[in-house]
Amino acid sequence: MSSSNKRQSVLPRMPAGPKAPVNFSSSITIADSALLAGKHTINIGSESVVHPRARLDSALGRITIGRRCVVHERTSLGAAPASAPASDPTILNTQGGVTIGDYATLEVGAVVEAGGTVVGEGCVVGIGCRIGSGAKLGKHCTLTPLSEIQPGEEVPDFTVVYSNGTRRLDRRGITELKHKAQARQIEVLKRLIPSNPTKFQ
Amino acid sequence: MSRKQVKGEYIETDTGNKVARKAILIGTQHIMLGGKTVIQAEAMIRGDLARTAQVPSSSGAAPGSNTAVAIGRYCFLSKGCCLRPPGRIYKGSFTYLPLRLGDHVFIGEGTVVQAATVGSHVHIGQKVVVGEFAIIKDYVRVLDGSVIPANMVIPSFSIVAGQPARIVGEVPEGGHEAFELRELYKSVGNNPQPLPV
Repeated sequence: MSSSNKRQSVLPRMPAGPKAPVNFSSSITIADSALLAGKHTINIGSESVVHPRARLDSALGRITIGRRCVVHERTSLGAAPASAPASDPTILNTQGGVTIGDYATLEVGAVVEAGGTVVGEGCVVGIGCRIGSGAKLGKHCTLTPLSEIQPGEEVPDFTVVYSNGTRRLDRRGITELKHKAQARQIEVLKRLIPSNPTKFQ
Repeated sequence: MSRKQVKGEYIETDTGNKVARKAILIGTQHIMLGGKTVIQAEAMIRGDLARTAQVPSSSGAAPGSNTAVAIGRYCFLSKGCCLRPPGRIYKGSFTYLPLRLGDHVFIGEGTVVQAATVGSHVHIGQKVVVGEFAIIKDYVRVLDGSVIPANMVIPSFSIVAGQPARIVGEVPEGGHEAFELRELYKSVGNNPQPLPV
């Protein structure tokens, strides 16, 4: 049986429906198996990296990703909000997409809901985090794995969310170092991930 | 068996690996399976994140030495789990380093493993996050929903849980037989056998 010749089936099918309008910088790295969908524009800034199987859905609003961001596999940007908070159901009606600041990292399986959600510059969103619709993350925040940010919440700059929602401030002052490390990581990822931006354009 | 059934859910290799057709293996040339390993649907292995920094090798780079993910025998990767090699700045440049799994390692559904080394006979539950460069020794049980911080070293025979994970107990004497995955291996595949009760 020549099942080893059927490697093509491993590749994902093309997402249904028309291609989302995109606006890519020429220096981005986007894996072939990333999933882009929706009718609003998806902007990706220079030198950002999108891993395989990341899902960017602009059905509910425009998605903007800054410079030198890393979007890991299985992340979902612009996901439909899971539920409206009982106190303020209007949040669900807020149109708007997702804005990711420069130098942000979204790790494996993170979910950023649509609805004017902002992830600030230099944030690290850990594995499996969920950022609710309309939440605003300040600059250089760190969310440890499996953290959740409620819809509409505003998180101040340099916040670290850890251990089931406990918070503290990051006073290490290593922003510059982190930016350097991010740039190095992107250099390597550029070589490792076969990029195919034309597929989405 | 009718001829129509040739296309099963799993691809079974000569060495006894059972890889689901819906598993997502990226960079397969850098993935080593020891044999008798089960990879279920939607499981993801990032073999493409291989080491990029040159190591001064005395043996003279053997072909296939640049393994990103090495998996031992009788490992079980459940649905939706993700194995990815850890990366860091090493000698001034960023590089990914290999992820090694021992034998009889169970990885639960939706778990993300970025460890450096996972020993043998390790049970990792569902929705667990194993941080970068964590080292898990032999006979360790990681309970569901744990978050193992980066660089943590977990000694043998520990039970860990929590967010961040801490050692909450010890595997009882004689409890190590529960880590055997041979029976579980037989219970999946294209003609699965029921688990003995």
